[in-house]
Amino acid sequence: MSKQPQKDKNFVPSRRSFLQGGLTAAGGAAVAAIGGGAALAAGTPDPAITELKDWNQYSGPGVDAAPYGVPSPFEAHVVRRDVPWLTADPISSINFTPLHELDGIITPNGLCFERHHSGVAEVDPAEHRLMINGLVDKPLVFTMQDLMRFPRENRVYFLECAANSGMEWRGAQLNGCQFTHGMLHNVMYTGVRLRTLLEEAGVKPAGKWILAEGADASGMGRSIPIEKALDDCLVAFKMNGEALRPEQGYPVRLCVPGWEGNMWVKWLRRIEVGDKPWQLREETSKYTDLMPDGRARRFTWAMDVKSVITNPSPQAPITHGRGHTIITGVAWSGHGKIKRVDVSIDGGRNWQHARIDGPSLSRSLHRFYYEFNWDGSPLYLQSRAIDEQGYVQPTKDALRAARGDNSIYHNNGIQTWYLKSNGEAENVEVS
Amino acid sequence: MSKFLKFTASIVLLGAAWATNANAQDADAGEKVFHKCAACHAVGEGAKNKVGPELNEIFGRVAGSLEDFKYSKAMTKAGEEGLVWDHDSLTEYLAKPRDYVKGTKMAFTGLKKDDEIANVIAYLATFSESAEQAAAEPESAPAAAAVETASTAEPAVNAADAVIPEHGVHHLGREALPEEIAAWDIDVRPDGVGLPVGSGTVADGGVLYDENCAVCHGVFGEGEGRWPVLSGGFDTLTADRPVKTIGSYWPFASTIFDYVHRAMPFGNARSLSADQTYAITAYLLYLNDIVTEEDFELSNETFSEISLPNKENFYPDDRLEEPNFATNVEPCMENCGDGPAEIVMRARILDVTPDGDEENGAGGID
Ligand code: HEC
Ligand code: HEC
Repeated sequence: MSKQPQKDKNFVPSRRSFLQGGLTAAGGAAVAAIGGGAALAAGTPDPAITELKDWNQYSGPGVDAAPYGVPSPFEAHVVRRDVPWLTADPISSINFTPLHELDGIITPNGLCFERHHSGVAEVDPAEHRLMINGLVDKPLVFTMQDLMRFPRENRVYFLECAANSGMEWRGAQLNGCQFTHGMLHNVMYTGVRLRTLLEEAGVKPAGKWILAEGADASGMGRSIPIEKALDDCLVAFKMNGEALRPEQGYPVRLCVPGWEGNMWVKWLRRIEVGDKPWQLREETSKYTDLMPDGRARRFTWAMDVKSVITNPSPQAPITHGRGHTIITGVAWSGHGKIKRVDVSIDGGRNWQHARIDGPSLSRSLHRFYYEFNWDGSPLYLQSRAIDEQGYVQPTKDALRAARGDNSIYHNNGIQTWYLKSNGEAENVEVS
Repeated sequence: MSKFLKFTASIVLLGAAWATNANAQDADAGEKVFHKCAACHAVGEGAKNKVGPELNEIFGRVAGSLEDFKYSKAMTKAGEEGLVWDHDSLTEYLAKPRDYVKGTKMAFTGLKKDDEIANVIAYLATFSESAEQAAAEPESAPAAAAVETASTAEPAVNAADAVIPEHGVHHLGREALPEEIAAWDIDVRPDGVGLPVGSGTVADGGVLYDENCAVCHGVFGEGEGRWPVLSGGFDTLTADRPVKTIGSYWPFASTIFDYVHRAMPFGNARSLSADQTYAITAYLLYLNDIVTEEDFELSNETFSEISLPNKENFYPDDRLEEPNFATNVEPCMENCGDGPAEIVMRARILDVTPDGDEENGAGGID
């Protein structure tokens, strides 16, 4: 019989199951955990080769078995996860992208993290309308079909929640980059420039702000300055080639490239043009950054330069022992492209340039690799990104010196993973 | 089968909503209606009590009888006096919960449409073994077929007959009607633009608040469990654990009106009238010591008198002035820092999922 998909959730950052997984044995010799096959005594033939497997012999399911395909059952552990104690109720909560299971720069649609404030609205596209009103020459209503008749464009953008890494202001807390950095995804959107729609209605000279509003039961609303609205904002109806997923705003959402995720209003139903910001709940009570003197910054829209090593990390230990090893991760900036990523294996004392591979696009994730020969000694792994404006990703201490511990949002500090000699990694901070 | 399809397709074309048929008890449609309950109730495998009790096996359950749920006295008493949930009692309860069980703490005004009630009951029946089978089955198949055919059943138009509007560059969309704008444009700004005509007193607001809000936000706005705190927290903004509330943090009273009117009560948004929203806003100001008289009346006219204490303490984003935003600095590459790196802080939570240690969790996502 073929091997069953792993039943235990060995990949969650549970120290117990991790150790039971066998890493204590044999000082890093090959371990069965990650698709590797069991360790073999030298000279013993590998049954993966010598034995006839079911899939070698019997036909598999036909083309009618899965009209909409799903991942291999062996990938069943690759899922979004949530942290129940964070919020009162899963209907207004968040889950996290499994960054440590992904490669390249695109996030698969079903793994893009979710944040909504009154659950996932189930919107019938035939009954969805987008209205533009306020300081315009002619207030307009569009159907989905109308929207799809405007000139379209395709753009890859990251979306990061302003609260990503927000639990880490007071120090290392969550063990896994899914939890520390997983309010992040990177998707190719197809849509219409917001500018094109605003021009259709004709913005009056007094129009300096727009309000973007969602159709869900939270009536999500954010004020956006007109310069940004007329620059690169996109009214998107496709993600990675297919219709938006319901949890990402089906049938239509706003993209506000490089700016905090909360502004990317989902289930977008209305754009109002006005002469002042609206100061709604999500830009006063929330998404304002409390400083140590008790005052608060508002309108902190841009997401600053940031990076994280996704492998190895607490949910993705090194199981092959010493020898040739790949460190990989992602880097991004709301200010443009990533110019360079540096990696340190000694907690920031010495740095080497990492290799960026794949498309380098403005306001999109960049994938980096750093290959080296691990001698098996404990390491403090860090990555540091520099964007095309010249902004350098700061240390967490530098951020705290400027902002204290209570600002919740915009934590783009350098992350440290403590890689132990058994291959296990832990979220730490170093001097 | 083909007869079926034609039948349902014509319904779609005529725009007649299947669900308005009062006899159609459609569990699928009921699942959608259940979204209105889901803020407070769970049903299905592994359902746990939330703000309200879990609803598995609700048919035949004596009202107020789950041992691990803390019911109101009224609900427990109703059960003791013989109330058992069945099709009829659920129908009456869900129409007007507070009339049917006087004193119930279910903060829900009730479902207005008969078909919504019938459908949600049909949906609940699918999680109740003792429910009469009849409730769920017969109508659901055609309803599902209607959904499937809807997308293909577009009426054909003769392309040459399409009317091209004059506005804009691409001549797409149509003019929004004043009634349509009025229906959606409910936002309110700090300068009072957008406030509807209306009024309400602190005293009225207190009654409404206790009925609709206190289950989650607490009788004094102190927040039940992890639900948001709405009052207090004065002078905590520089403390180790700031408590950000309407009174301690929010800059503008207009935000209270706007948010409550658009998004609360959670799970039943847009159900409050303008007068009710004025009253509740007045009461939230009262809970935060911003107004002190119970007969204070908030209205579109008195609104501009209100000013929140923390208003002046917000300033525009000035991150670029922080030293770490310097752009002309080449970062250190070799022998940086003093001596070798040492651990100063470790992840405090090792098992965050699935059974994280709730007590140690700190911080939030807001
Ligand atoms: C705002 C929260 C809230 C909402 C929304 C809500 N409920 Fe409730 N529900 C409760 C609470 C709390 C109770 C317990 C009432 C009591 O003890 O008086 C309850 C009790 C009940 C009961 C009685 C259960 C028992 O064990 O006796 C039923 C049935 C019920 N709800 C169904 C519904 C349905 C169906 C909906 C949606 C149409 C709904 N509720 C919406 C909070 C809510
Ligand atoms: C079923 C629980 C529930 C009920 C009932 C409820 N709320 Fe809420 N309330 C919430 C949740 C959850 C949030 C946060 C929503 C989010 O995440 O966006 C919230 C947020 C709020 C906020 C914003 C808090 C902040 O600090 O930003 C206000 C104000 C508020 N509610 C007022 C009310 C009022 C007034 C009522 C009654 C009319 C009410 N709520 C009823 C659950 C509830």
